[in-house]
Amino acid sequence: MLGLAKGLAYTLKQLGKEGVTSNYPEEPVEMPDRFRGIQRFYPEKCIVCNQCAAICPTDCIQLTGKPHPDPNNKKKIIDTYDINFEICILCDLCTEVCPTEAVVMSNNFELSSYSRDELFKDMDWLHENTKNVREVNRP
Amino acid sequence: MIRTEEMILNVGPQHPSTHGVFRVVVKIDGETIVEAKPVIGYLHRGTEKLAEDLNYTQIIPYTDRMDYLSAMTGNYVICHAVETMMGLEIPERAEYLRVMAMELGRVASHLVWFGTYLLDLGAMSPFLYAFREREMIINMINELCGARLTFNYMRVGGVKWDAPDGWVDKVKEFIPYMREQLEGYHELVSGNEIFLNRVKGVGKYDAETAVNYSLSGANLRCTGVKRDLRKDEPYSIYDRFDFDVPTETEGDAYARYLVRMEEIRQSLRILEQCVEQFPEGGEILGKVPRNIRPPEGETSVRIESPRGEIGCYIYSKKKPQPYRLKFRRPSFYNLQILPKLLEGENIANLVTILGGIDIVLGEVDG
Repeated sequence: MLGLAKGLAYTLKQLGKEGVTSNYPEEPVEMPDRFRGIQRFYPEKCIVCNQCAAICPTDCIQLTGKPHPDPNNKKKIIDTYDINFEICILCDLCTEVCPTEAVVMSNNFELSSYSRDELFKDMDWLHENTKNVREVNRP
Repeated sequence: MIRTEEMILNVGPQHPSTHGVFRVVVKIDGETIVEAKPVIGYLHRGTEKLAEDLNYTQIIPYTDRMDYLSAMTGNYVICHAVETMMGLEIPERAEYLRVMAMELGRVASHLVWFGTYLLDLGAMSPFLYAFREREMIINMINELCGARLTFNYMRVGGVKWDAPDGWVDKVKEFIPYMREQLEGYHELVSGNEIFLNRVKGVGKYDAETAVNYSLSGANLRCTGVKRDLRKDEPYSIYDRFDFDVPTETEGDAYARYLVRMEEIRQSLRILEQCVEQFPEGGEILGKVPRNIRPPEGETSVRIESPRGEIGCYIYSKKKPQPYRLKFRRPSFYNLQILPKLLEGENIANLVTILGGIDIVLGEVDG
């Protein structure tokens, strides 16, 4: 019985300690800057190099480019950019390979929705994902 | 005369004490288990087959999802295999960051085991305390690599991120705190008579059986076999640290408990030395070719994960993708002894024995 009593004494000691739980959904949880959340996309920075789509382990990024409106400029500009969050594993490899940092991670992680279609995010949605964007993207 | 007959009882795949999607079909005679048949594969994703179509860097996030309680060792084993094949040199600072991350992961993993095992046995509060400390580790790792569970932190030739400002000090502060809590756990659980009655002498096997079943990790060390790859075949920079390999001789669930608790203490010792020796500056990624193509041939490496010996075999044909990749997943091997241990046991000991093995279903099913 001594062991039981000792254990109970330990539990009683913990009573006076400060709580460690947070009041999440009511109060948002702050994640560190490096946190890998939903990507933000900058269409003006993208050079349509396709590296993000190539490195993606789950093939969840699809992008297409179109010719530059200025006929003298031979560079392509981005036309569509979609990420399918049904299969995205937020591994951060796309932001790691992006040479112009056109795609960066944000600290937002709340992705749940009532339908699968809503998880398919297009370029406009990803551009408007402006909250809590990662400040330092390169190690 | 009352006629009795055996009954088939299905435990899982959705059962809180199976820690994932694991099913055991047990044939019971009254309350005694006559035969147990584990059914696995509910979480099978075919990691090894998928890897054949992926670049080496792309495989790293997949290893996070095998042993998700200590993803750092999974990260390390694939990077270590590729580095061994290519003969890459890892910068000093990266090695220290890797070891620190792995040892923090080991402590976190053992804390989950401690908490959930006691929860299986019917004790609620140890779980809360263990997760309180684990949360601190998870937060530290989150600051380091940006994820709480699926770290994807290591790269072939080094690590992705350097330690943020003040991170090493945080680890340094955590070590004495964790030691104090560990004493508390022993106070809370190790002397508890109910706990002792439930684990002492349960799921007992000897060293020979353990070796024959190729058990590894705490499941092997609880029988007195002193085998730890960090000591026996030092990889990374483990030869620089002074630590012991805890062993017990009983070979029962209680011995496994003691070994794991002592391993937390040893991990803290390694962490302490890591923090002391941590180099001031330096690179975190070595000289790695842009296209990672290991030379033609095969290699096999193994390291010590919290659950045992995790290995990685690569057959390369000098392509960016492996021709064949195989992981030696310790949970899968350790689970093989379960039917033998369950035979003749009381049905109430099922969770004691299963929990004592410490399996992660992501790893069992691969």
